[in-house]
Amino acid sequence: MGEILMKKFFSKDSFVLSSFGKAQRRQSLLVSIVLVVLFIFSALTFFNALYAFADFVGSIVSGSPDAAIRDITRSLPLILSCFMSIWGMLLFHALFRNVSDEKRIKSIKKNAIALLAFATVNFIAIIVMLIMGKFHSIVEGAPSPLYPLDSIIYSLIYVAIGVFALVYLKKLQEKIPYVVPSRGAVVSKFRGLYCTFMSFWMLIALFSTASFFLGLFIVDFVHGYLLYCIGLMLIFFVNMLFIGVWEFYYNELKEENKKAFLLPLAIAGLVVAIIAIVLYLVGLTTGLDGPSNAGFGVLPVAFAASVNIATLIVAFTPIIVSVVAVIRGLLLRKKK
Amino acid sequence: MKKNAKVFPLLLLTPFVLTSCGQVKKYAEHLDDYVFTMKYHKNFNILQLTDIHWNINSSTYESEKYMDKVLAEANKHITATQGAGAKIDLVELTGDMFMLANAYHVDSFIKYFEKKSEEYGFKYASIWGNHDRHGMYNPNWIAERFAKAKNSLYYEPNDDLYGRSNFMINLTADGNKGSEVKWQISNLDSGASFSETALSPFRDYDYIRKDQTEWWISEYNKAVVNNQNLGGSDDIPGIAYYHIPQEENQKLYDEVQKNPTSHKNKFFKLEGFADNGNEKYASNFLDEAKQRNLKGAFMGHAHNVDWTVTWDDLVIGLGVKTGIELYYAHIDTKSEDPDMKKGLADTGITENFDLIGASLVTITDEESNIEGKFDLEHLYLNERKGGDFVAWVKY
Repeated sequence: MGEILMKKFFSKDSFVLSSFGKAQRRQSLLVSIVLVVLFIFSALTFFNALYAFADFVGSIVSGSPDAAIRDITRSLPLILSCFMSIWGMLLFHALFRNVSDEKRIKSIKKNAIALLAFATVNFIAIIVMLIMGKFHSIVEGAPSPLYPLDSIIYSLIYVAIGVFALVYLKKLQEKIPYVVPSRGAVVSKFRGLYCTFMSFWMLIALFSTASFFLGLFIVDFVHGYLLYCIGLMLIFFVNMLFIGVWEFYYNELKEENKKAFLLPLAIAGLVVAIIAIVLYLVGLTTGLDGPSNAGFGVLPVAFAASVNIATLIVAFTPIIVSVVAVIRGLLLRKKK
Repeated sequence: MKKNAKVFPLLLLTPFVLTSCGQVKKYAEHLDDYVFTMKYHKNFNILQLTDIHWNINSSTYESEKYMDKVLAEANKHITATQGAGAKIDLVELTGDMFMLANAYHVDSFIKYFEKKSEEYGFKYASIWGNHDRHGMYNPNWIAERFAKAKNSLYYEPNDDLYGRSNFMINLTADGNKGSEVKWQISNLDSGASFSETALSPFRDYDYIRKDQTEWWISEYNKAVVNNQNLGGSDDIPGIAYYHIPQEENQKLYDEVQKNPTSHKNKFFKLEGFADNGNEKYASNFLDEAKQRNLKGAFMGHAHNVDWTVTWDDLVIGLGVKTGIELYYAHIDTKSEDPDMKKGLADTGITENFDLIGASLVTITDEESNIEGKFDLEHLYLNERKGGDFVAWVKY
């Protein structure tokens, strides 16, 4: 039984694309590549935004709202860059939602308008801040050598993407219909709850992806906290793995396979998550000052050094995601 | 193929394993390595800048502009009070230089201090704060940058001593290691934070550990033996710089609350010291160092505090926070807060200002007569459109 299931897991016939032609497969691959690129941009800009937000919160809780407002205003382009990246990603993700052509185009339009709004606001905000003298020059520097000019350029790129989506995508749809079946789970019951969880999961995945890749450079593996560091990186890797499996494996499956595969996938995920957390906690026990000495660069949410609970929440995120998947798998099985 | 599958995970782990297997140096066998030297002279000036906190939201342009003013003001004050030729000799950066910053900030920061040290002729020593470890860079990379910078005094070995970096700056008769040690300036890493158990909801601030105290004593004893061999003084005065206040600050503050004349004290205490606060983790550093002629202990960490107190003949105090990042206190002359009122009465300042600036220690001993004397002054400097607010207050 297990062997049959394993074979089915990796059989070409289990995937929706198996019944479609070369052009459609190419189309799907292209969108997937763009999505991965935008996901990485979203992850990196989200990490920047998280840093900006953590400092903002730090000023607030320390009783300096004036410093908090001054700082977050200066970093508005960082926050808006994060929104632009995420909405750019959502715009392309909408291509997979083809329950109907009408719905897909509506979704693309909605996301393109939001993207344009963020990019335009960012552009205007920087110009206004330059005129008001909040920025000494267009290349004042910090947090990057060309800041805020780089943010203006980033905005213009997203304006171009938004305009392209609005003007040409519809035409493109008419000429070359996008026929790849829906890859996003379409739910009607508890839609609000589902969307909330998916948004939460997306943010965890963005944070974990950025933390994993940046962590390779940020985390101090050589200062005597090796086990803790490996546990920490494993947590991020598992979160990244989960979103990858969801997006590029589970959502590529045919509908009947989705129902059959979800529970075993979720249980496997839960086991991996438990192993990662156990390793993290064992690593932490060997050096209780580990997070603050080796890993706080990737844990900006826990920067206020007195809050250990924040590091624990991060550590337990894979469990949350996999437990929700197990519950959903059980519910789907019950329906069957 | 199967063989490859087994080898691959091992290959992935190789860099971690290799990097974690470096030789751990025993500090006790390499005491000399932890010592920098500078030439001692009367009126040796140490400017303490603390909690600069460059972060992702910072305008380094504005911050540099502010520090330009602080350095220029300190230099002007020194030449005015000590005569032409007097200068800032050493800048002590007592932690939290960064928080949630990135490599660009670190590079700019070091470039800035290199430029200024050339301009004013000082050396600068950097000390780890709890937040310096929380950035978009590897702490080892910062350490390497500080260690390589031309005018920076910084030492971080892979050793068996707690903290990333602990080192001594011996002020000697001729500036070389073999000569008589006149004063010792110690720089200690007071750590960041730790949780009592893996699942504790909160974290405690770190403290100066016993092995750091032992290291400090060993360095002190070594300097004493060196002086004895040279026929010099065997009672070397010292000043310690670190980031997180130890339990003594709070204890002395409590004593002063009970009996205001029990200890000489001055300046502002507008929040807690943010120390460990747990008897279980009390450091023995100040107790031990005080018995070995430590004359001053200066730190940072709590931005709204620059309260300084004398414990027998040891002066313990927080430096004035440098710059406007993260948070700082607004001193209001109309405030009813007793601590603010006391600070205002102590300093004699009669207008509103922000508690930011720097602290200056001037070692006043004659070269030939080391008595352990120094002056401490706090500089409050606020940028204002109609002319900056500048006040020097002597302890």
